[in-house]
Amino acid sequence: MDTLCKQAVEENAAVACFYFSFAAKEDQSPAVVLGSVLKQVVNGLEEVPERIVRAFRDREKVIDGQRLMLSEITEILKDISSSRCTFIFIDALDECPSEHLENLLDLLNHILQSSPGTRLFTTGRPHILSEVEEHLGGRLATRSITPIKDDVMTFIRAMLQEDTMPDAMDESLEEEIMRNIPEAITET
Amino acid sequence: MSRQHITDDNFLDTTSSKNVRGYPVVADERLDILAWLSPLEPQMRHREIRARRVDQVGNWLFQTEEYRNWFGSIRGGESDGAALFCYGGPGVGKTYLR
Repeated sequence: MDTLCKQAVEENAAVACFYFSFAAKEDQSPAVVLGSVLKQVVNGLEEVPERIVRAFRDREKVIDGQRLMLSEITEILKDISSSRCTFIFIDALDECPSEHLENLLDLLNHILQSSPGTRLFTTGRPHILSEVEEHLGGRLATRSITPIKDDVMTFIRAMLQEDTMPDAMDESLEEEIMRNIPEAITET
Repeated sequence: MSRQHITDDNFLDTTSSKNVRGYPVVADERLDILAWLSPLEPQMRHREIRARRVDQVGNWLFQTEEYRNWFGSIRGGESDGAALFCYGGPGVGKTYLR
């Protein structure tokens, strides 16, 4: 994500992220997800688009007009991202409430379709792969993420250095950990 | 093109796009508008993840053909390959890709 941010800055692009979580207590509907994305994109603009300012100032005049409607959010995102490269990063798409996933994917697809400068980076567990493929169609590239041995070794070393009970560790135990865990993980 | 910086509080501080018509608002109203657009602050979660991430782990992704094609396609402006889905089982480190 940080690497992406740096690369995006070089491209003069906007970056927005959303982290899905089963543990989230708040609503994770498409309006919330894309509302959050829109906020981050607008935050990167020097001026707030007129359409948003007007809607904000009119919000109390409209019944149920407390927040932007999903359709407005999508339209405004499309407008902004059609004139400016925008990277949208969504983590744990499989933790998106299942009743919302299809709608969210369709809206993202719609945004990608009308704004060729938009890029979507998502992660998730493999069981939603076919659904993601179905809704993002030809626009989608996929990549399987598996732990590589070097990464596992680097990670374990970092964890061992933070050990809160260093006295419990001796050389042979450390060797055993460094040998067994990476093997077990990369076998799966 | 002006230089931009990533800060802790804004993912990006950038100059605005010329094509989206902006509307002058005072700073206070700007903050109110942003809070109204969404009360969420994914930066918090992002910072939490960054603090727990280990340097170098996951960097291999940026060398893969899939990532390079996805990112590289921005220059061509095509929308083919505009989305990249990185999938894997629980605990493989998807969230911690940097």
